[in-house]
Amino acid sequence: MQQLNNMKVSGAPSTPLPVRPRIFEERYLKLPDSQQVALERGLISPVAPPAPFIYNNGVVGPPFSSNSGFSTNLQYSPVAPHENQPQNSLFVSQSASNQASFPMRSSSRTVQIAAPEYSQNGKASWRNGLLDELYDFPLETLNQSNRAENRGGNMVLPSEDLDKPSNWQEWADQLIREDANWGDRLGDANVSNPEATTVKGASNFPVPQIQQSQPVLPSSGKVPVAFNPPPAANTAPVKSRMRWTQELHEAFVEAVAKLGGCERATPKGVLRLMKVEGITIYHVKSHLQKYRMAHYWPELTEGSFGRRQSPVEEMPSFNVKVLDNQSLEITEALRMQMEVQRRLHEQLEIQRKLQLQIEEQGRILQMMFEKQSGIKLQESLDDNSDPADVPAFSDSGIEASNDEDIHAIDLATSAADGVSKVPGGERYNLPPSPSKRPRLYR
Amino acid sequence: MKFGKWLKQQIQETLPDWRENFLSYKDLKKLVRLISSGPMIRVGATSSKAPGKAEAEFVYLLNGEIEKFNGFFMEKEEDFIIRHKELKRRIQTVIEKWGENGTHPSAEIYKHEMTKIRKDIVNFHGEMVLLINYSNINYTGLAKILKKYDKRTGGLLRSPFIQEVLRQPFFTTDLVSKLAKEIEATIDAVFPLRKPESTSTAVTRVPVAEEGIFRNTVAALMSMQEMRKGSSTVSHFSLPPLNLPDSDLPQLLQISSPITIP
Repeated sequence: MQQLNNMKVSGAPSTPLPVRPRIFEERYLKLPDSQQVALERGLISPVAPPAPFIYNNGVVGPPFSSNSGFSTNLQYSPVAPHENQPQNSLFVSQSASNQASFPMRSSSRTVQIAAPEYSQNGKASWRNGLLDELYDFPLETLNQSNRAENRGGNMVLPSEDLDKPSNWQEWADQLIREDANWGDRLGDANVSNPEATTVKGASNFPVPQIQQSQPVLPSSGKVPVAFNPPPAANTAPVKSRMRWTQELHEAFVEAVAKLGGCERATPKGVLRLMKVEGITIYHVKSHLQKYRMAHYWPELTEGSFGRRQSPVEEMPSFNVKVLDNQSLEITEALRMQMEVQRRLHEQLEIQRKLQLQIEEQGRILQMMFEKQSGIKLQESLDDNSDPADVPAFSDSGIEASNDEDIHAIDLATSAADGVSKVPGGERYNLPPSPSKRPRLYR
Repeated sequence: MKFGKWLKQQIQETLPDWRENFLSYKDLKKLVRLISSGPMIRVGATSSKAPGKAEAEFVYLLNGEIEKFNGFFMEKEEDFIIRHKELKRRIQTVIEKWGENGTHPSAEIYKHEMTKIRKDIVNFHGEMVLLINYSNINYTGLAKILKKYDKRTGGLLRSPFIQEVLRQPFFTTDLVSKLAKEIEATIDAVFPLRKPESTSTAVTRVPVAEEGIFRNTVAALMSMQEMRKGSSTVSHFSLPPLNLPDSDLPQLLQISSPITIP
């Protein structure tokens, strides 16, 4: 699809910045119609209802202005492709450095993107043959994701590659060739992601490429589908992680209620009643387990309280007063605790907003710098070239905008400097951006 | 090293189950050092790699960490969603049954049940706030290690990478924050009105000894203040100093040394 070509994350011209991250941003932009694309590609079943999964309804919408307007759609930043650089395409860390031993703790709850060995070992030392493991990933990925989808029954995927481990080389090539489709699929996977946890894994091609692009991007929480150990795990539950929302939980609770309560309800029944696209029985199962625990926990602790209750009733009045005082003290302690917690919460929110602001403004600054260097580059080119070879920029407005932009950049720079010297409220205010849109110099 | 020490302290103060899920800052720092000294030294495979590959390795590890955060965070978030609803349901049930206008009004039982609920609510709120704190700490750590990396290797990894981090589940804490705010609102309904005599200004220091949510929260708040006092490397990417409105509150809470559990 051509969407990628039409997208520009920033108005900045090509720059000294490494190409990779730029590509990520571009690929990573969610297209509003990416779901449409996904449908076309048969990645999502056409009857999929717009699930509550989708996060752009503000459930988990970040309040900040993100660099891409679409980022709210994405819960996961799956590693984007960067097949434009085939030389980096397969992330091959030749390192076998045992010197950098990195104890990655294996947690049963988290799904590590690490090689299977890592997730099982207490220590993750870089081994020789990391290369091999990485090549193994696509394999497992495909296996897992295909299995997952076949179970889901609503994916249309090529499955012929499943049992041909030796084909990984071909896959790698194929992946590289699949450039143009990459971002879309990944994008689709991302958007549909919330709905279809398995879709994510389903996008076969992207997944191995996720491995590739890992060098630059954090990987998605959904990608885990890929990282289960080899073939034997084909029968094991796919550990794709799902992000629950309040709406989803509501649907869950309703389903459980319809089935007669959490004791009676079965995962299968709940799954069927919920009618949510992409959710698997394993998600429901584990959620049900948690639900049961939460439901009965107060009753479990009831015992100790229950026993205390009768003495309260029987005691003479002055003892009741003592107990009353005790409970007053408890309440006071709780109040204090609550106060501290509230305070911390408040401060954390402030801190978070600041962090976002900082990054956002840093980004803007960077764009401006890029622009400026782009201008300078263009100017130097102009100087060097024959006056007769006038570049395409015959627009006389350029001069004016140049000065304006440079001025703005200077302001921004000094603001940044000022900022570091003068900590205070005005720290995070950038000067107003140039009134003219930054021009693209190509 | 300041952050490293600070992080270590945070981990120590945090809830035991959580300790494994924090950023492996120290190890990553070691790796950065190794990478930056790479070109000079011929020993070890890391250093003999091209810078691109060293970076790839570094990013790989970072991704693993982020994966870890995401996993832990989402587990907890799911728990919170469930518990939030359950708490609301419990409150509703108690009010409907034993409340004044309930089916079986009973001041005794109402009070009793409410006491339990209050405790649960406060602890629940505490856990949620601590999760947000967790998110924050790890984000800070990532930002710092990336900054170190760029500084040492002259790379340009930090900015784009951090942009992606901002979109990760573990950083997008909006839902948890929303739940916490709802609880804060509910608390007022559930707690009795404050008696006048208990608002005396001369409050003696309350020892906060045992491991637990309260301790963790206090520690977090105090160390946050400490952390943001300003450092030698303050830049326009640094946070301003933390100004707590009633900054005497943390001082009232004296944290004694933790009780170590063998």
